[in-house]
Amino acid sequence: MSDAPLYLEPKLGPDLASLLGSGPFLHTLADALGSPLNVVLPDRIARNLAEFEAVFRRHRLPGRVFFAHKTNRSSALVRRLAATGAGLDAASLGELQHALGSGFTPDRILATGPKDPEFLWLAARSGVVVNADGPAELAEAARLVRGYGLPRLRILLRLSGFETSGARMLSRRSRFGTSVKALGRLLDLLEDHRDALEPIGVGYHLDTTGIDEKATALEGCLRAMEDLRLRDFRPRAIDIGGGFGVGYLADGGQWDRYTTALTDAVMGRRSPLTWGGHGYGLRAENGTLKGALALYPAYRPVAGPAYLDELLSRPAPGLGRPLGTLLLDSLCDLYAEPGRALVDQCGLTLGRVLEVRETDGGGWLVRLGMNAADVGLEEHGVLMDPVLLRRPGGGPAAGGGGPVGVHLLGNLCLESDLITRRTVFLPGLPRPGDLLAFPNTAGYCMDFTATRAQQQPVARKVAVREGGGTWHWRLDEQYWPVTDTGGQDA
Amino acid sequence: MRYDSITEAIGNTPLVRIDPQVHGLRHIDLYAKLEMLNPFGSLKDRAAWNMARDQLPEAAARGATVVELSSGNTAKALALIAGLHGLPFKSVTNRMRIPEVKDLLLLLGAEIEELPGQSECLDPTDTSDPLTVFHQRLNQPGSTHLHTDQYFNPLNAEAHAQGTGPEIIADLDGRAPDWFIACVGTAGSSTGVASALRAHRPAVQVIGLVGEKSEFIPGIRTAEEVQEVGLFDPATYDVIEAVGADEAIDGMLTLIRRCGLLSGPTGGAAYAGAVRHLKPLDTASAERRTAVFIVCDRAESYLGYVGRRRPELLGRPPVRNSVATLTSAELAAAPVVEVGEAQKWIETGQPLVVDLRGPFAFAALHIDGSVNIVDELFEELLRGGLPFSRSRPVLLACPVGEKSARYAALLTRMGHPDVRSLAGGIIAWRDAGAPLVRD
Repeated sequence: MSDAPLYLEPKLGPDLASLLGSGPFLHTLADALGSPLNVVLPDRIARNLAEFEAVFRRHRLPGRVFFAHKTNRSSALVRRLAATGAGLDAASLGELQHALGSGFTPDRILATGPKDPEFLWLAARSGVVVNADGPAELAEAARLVRGYGLPRLRILLRLSGFETSGARMLSRRSRFGTSVKALGRLLDLLEDHRDALEPIGVGYHLDTTGIDEKATALEGCLRAMEDLRLRDFRPRAIDIGGGFGVGYLADGGQWDRYTTALTDAVMGRRSPLTWGGHGYGLRAENGTLKGALALYPAYRPVAGPAYLDELLSRPAPGLGRPLGTLLLDSLCDLYAEPGRALVDQCGLTLGRVLEVRETDGGGWLVRLGMNAADVGLEEHGVLMDPVLLRRPGGGPAAGGGGPVGVHLLGNLCLESDLITRRTVFLPGLPRPGDLLAFPNTAGYCMDFTATRAQQQPVARKVAVREGGGTWHWRLDEQYWPVTDTGGQDA
Repeated sequence: MRYDSITEAIGNTPLVRIDPQVHGLRHIDLYAKLEMLNPFGSLKDRAAWNMARDQLPEAAARGATVVELSSGNTAKALALIAGLHGLPFKSVTNRMRIPEVKDLLLLLGAEIEELPGQSECLDPTDTSDPLTVFHQRLNQPGSTHLHTDQYFNPLNAEAHAQGTGPEIIADLDGRAPDWFIACVGTAGSSTGVASALRAHRPAVQVIGLVGEKSEFIPGIRTAEEVQEVGLFDPATYDVIEAVGADEAIDGMLTLIRRCGLLSGPTGGAAYAGAVRHLKPLDTASAERRTAVFIVCDRAESYLGYVGRRRPELLGRPPVRNSVATLTSAELAAAPVVEVGEAQKWIETGQPLVVDLRGPFAFAALHIDGSVNIVDELFEELLRGGLPFSRSRPVLLACPVGEKSARYAALLTRMGHPDVRSLAGGIIAWRDAGAPLVRD
C-alpha cells in the first residue's frame, strides 16, 4: 500500500493532449532548439478568452477581460490576444511597450502594479487606463499630465481592506491598494485634480482562493462607486482583478490520496514522499499536525471561468442580490484580469533526460537539462507529474519496466537544485535522451523565474499550432497572427 | 425538574433504541445517545461547560472575552454560557460554512472572525498559517481572553469521560456496549466516552468516523484534519472509517422520518456509519449484542445544507403566475418600447414606471418619477394577482430589458391591457443620453 505509486496526473485539454501525443515532433523541436524548451499554444488562449467572455454574456455584463501579462512573457500569446477583443494588464514599462508593440491599442490596456516614473509617463502619454495604487501615484500622474500637456488620464482606484458587517471576515493582508477607509482622502485628491484625472471606476487585487473575501471586496467596490458618484464623478467600471485559479490535476482522488500520504509521512506514519522529508509547510509537533499545506490547491473542480461565474452568482454579503445582478443593476462594466486562468492549457516545458543514476539507498536520480528556475512548478507550489516522452528508437531502460519513484535533479551545482522536492512517480524509468514534458506551465511556471545567472541556457520559446492534422511551429518572436496562417485569412 | 440555571440541564440525555425494523440488524441492539437534547442543542454543551465553568468567575473579574476556534456547536454553547456570566464571546473560524449557524451566533451576540482563504499565488513570505497567528495573538502577555481551546483541552474529553460514558453504561443496566460509534470532530466525545467504556469493559470496539476528504459534512473532520487535533490519538479507535455527505443525509433522513429523531447530518453520518460497520458483524451469538452511536445535534440549522445538496428533499409545489411558465410565443410577443418613444410616452401617457433593479442601484440612478420594486419582490407580488390597476399604463425597466420583457409578457397574460418593457433597459436609456436622476 505505502509503496504504491502516487501519481498526480495533469489535466490535459484536447490541445495539450494532442501535442503530447506528437512525441517525435517535440523531440525534433528539442533537438533543434535545445533543452529546456518552452512551447506555447496561442490559439488556446483565444479559446480560453471566449470562455470568460461567455460568462460575461451569461450575466449580461458589459466590460472586458484583461490578460495579466506577468504570467507569461510570450509574444505569441500577447499577439494572438491582440487579434481578439481582450484587454491587457501591464505591470511594468517593458510589458506596456510589449503590449503596444504587439497591437494592443491604449484603450485596451490597464497599467497596474508598482509604477516607476518611466512606466507612469508612458502610460499617461499613450492614454492607457492607470490602475492607481494610492494617493502618491495619483499626484504623480496628475503632475505628469499637466507638466507634459497630456490629455486627461483615465484612472481606476485600487482599493483594499474591505470589511463586512455581521461576521467579520479577516482578509489576507495585501500590499496593494488604498484602504477603503481612506477613500475620502483619495476622492479629495481627485477633486483637486479634476482637470488632469478622470476616475472611471474602482477595483481590488486579492490574493486568495476564498470566494467570500472576493464577494466582500466586490460589494465594497459597489459602495465605493456610490461615493464617487456623490462627488459628481461618473464611474463605470469595477475591476475585480484575477485569482480565478486553475485546476491542474485530472483526478481529485489522486490529489486526496497524495495529500493524505504526505500528512502521514510528516507524522512519521509512512516513508517520506519528498527529498529530505520536506513537509511543504506541514510539520509534526508532539504528535499533532501543525502548519498549513503550502501548496497550490492543484485539484480545483471550480476554477477559471467557472469560478468567475460562481462569484457573480453569489449573493452579496450585505446587499443580498447576486453580485452579477448588482453589477448589472448599477450599470457597471466589469473588468477582470485573469492571468494564470487565461493561459490554462496554453503551454508546456520540455527537459531532456541527461543521466539516470541509482543511489546507494536504492532510489533513482534523474538529471535533466534544465534547472528548478526553468520550470517554476515547485516555486509556485504546483504539484503535477511530467509526461515521459520516449526518444524514438531509444534503447531499453535500466531497472526493469514498471512504475518508479525518482527525484528530478537540475543542471546546477547546487544541492538545492531539485526540479521538484517531491518524489515523482513515473510509469517507467526514463533513459538518457528521453524528454520529460511539464504540461500546463504557461501560467507563472514557464519563465517567471528563469535567469542566465549560472550561464546555463535559458529556454527558447516556440509557438505551435495544429493545422491539417499536424503541428507547425515558429519561434515565439516570429509569431504573428497573420504569419501564422501564412499571411492568408484564417 | 426545577433548576437554578440552565447549565444544570446539561447532560443526562436519553438513550433511545432504534427499531430493528428500521436498521435491519437482527442480533444487535442499536441505541442512539441523544446529545441533541442538551439545552443549547448539542453534544458540545458538555464540553463547553466543563472547559469554561471553573474559569468563569476569574474571567469575569478581569473582563475577559471568551474565545474559541469554532464554526458551530461549541461556539453556540460557549456564547450562551458567556452571556449567562456577562462575558462577551468571540469565535474565530476557518470558515463558517453553515449560514444559519452564523446567523444564530450573531443573534446570541457573538463576534465572529473568519480566517482568510488560501493564497492563490504561493507566497514564500507567508511564514505562518492563520491559526498559528491566532495563537500567537492570544498568548500575548496582558491578553484578556479566556481561550477554551477545545482541540487541545483535556477538559473537553473529561466532560464525556465523566458524563456521557457513565450515562451510557447506567442506561444499559451497568454494561458497556459491544460497539461505540462516533463522528470525530474535536475527538473530545469519542475519546472521553471510549475511556469510560473501556475502563468498564476493555473489549468494547470504538469506531471513529471521519468525513470523506472531497466532501463537506458539518461537524466532522477528515482523516487529515483530525491529525491537527491535540485530543486525537489514533490508538483510541479500533477502526477509523470514512463517511460521505450523501450517506450522512440519508442517515439523517432515516432518523427523522422513521425514528422520530430530529437529527442533524452528523448524527445521520453516525447512524449510517454504524449500520454499515455492523451489518457484516450481525451474526447470532450466545447473547444479544449492543451498539451505541451519538446523535450530536439537531436538523434545523442544516436545512440550507440539505437543500443545496439535495434540493428535491425540500420540494415545493409549482407557483402560479410565474415567468418560468411563459411560452416562447408569449415571450416573443412581449410589448416593448424603444428609449426615444418611451421618453415621449412618459410625457404624454404618464405610465407608471417600475424599475425592477435592486434598491441600492435604484437609489444611485433612476428614471425620474419611477418606483422601485425589486424583481424578486415583483415576482412574489404577481403570484397573488395583478398589482396595478388595469386603467394605468405601466412601463417596466430592468438593466438590459430582458427581465422586464418577461414580466411584461406575464402581466399581459394576466390581463393588463397596456404594459410595455423598456427595450435595452436602463443601460440603453443611459447610453442614449436620456436623463437619470438620484433624488
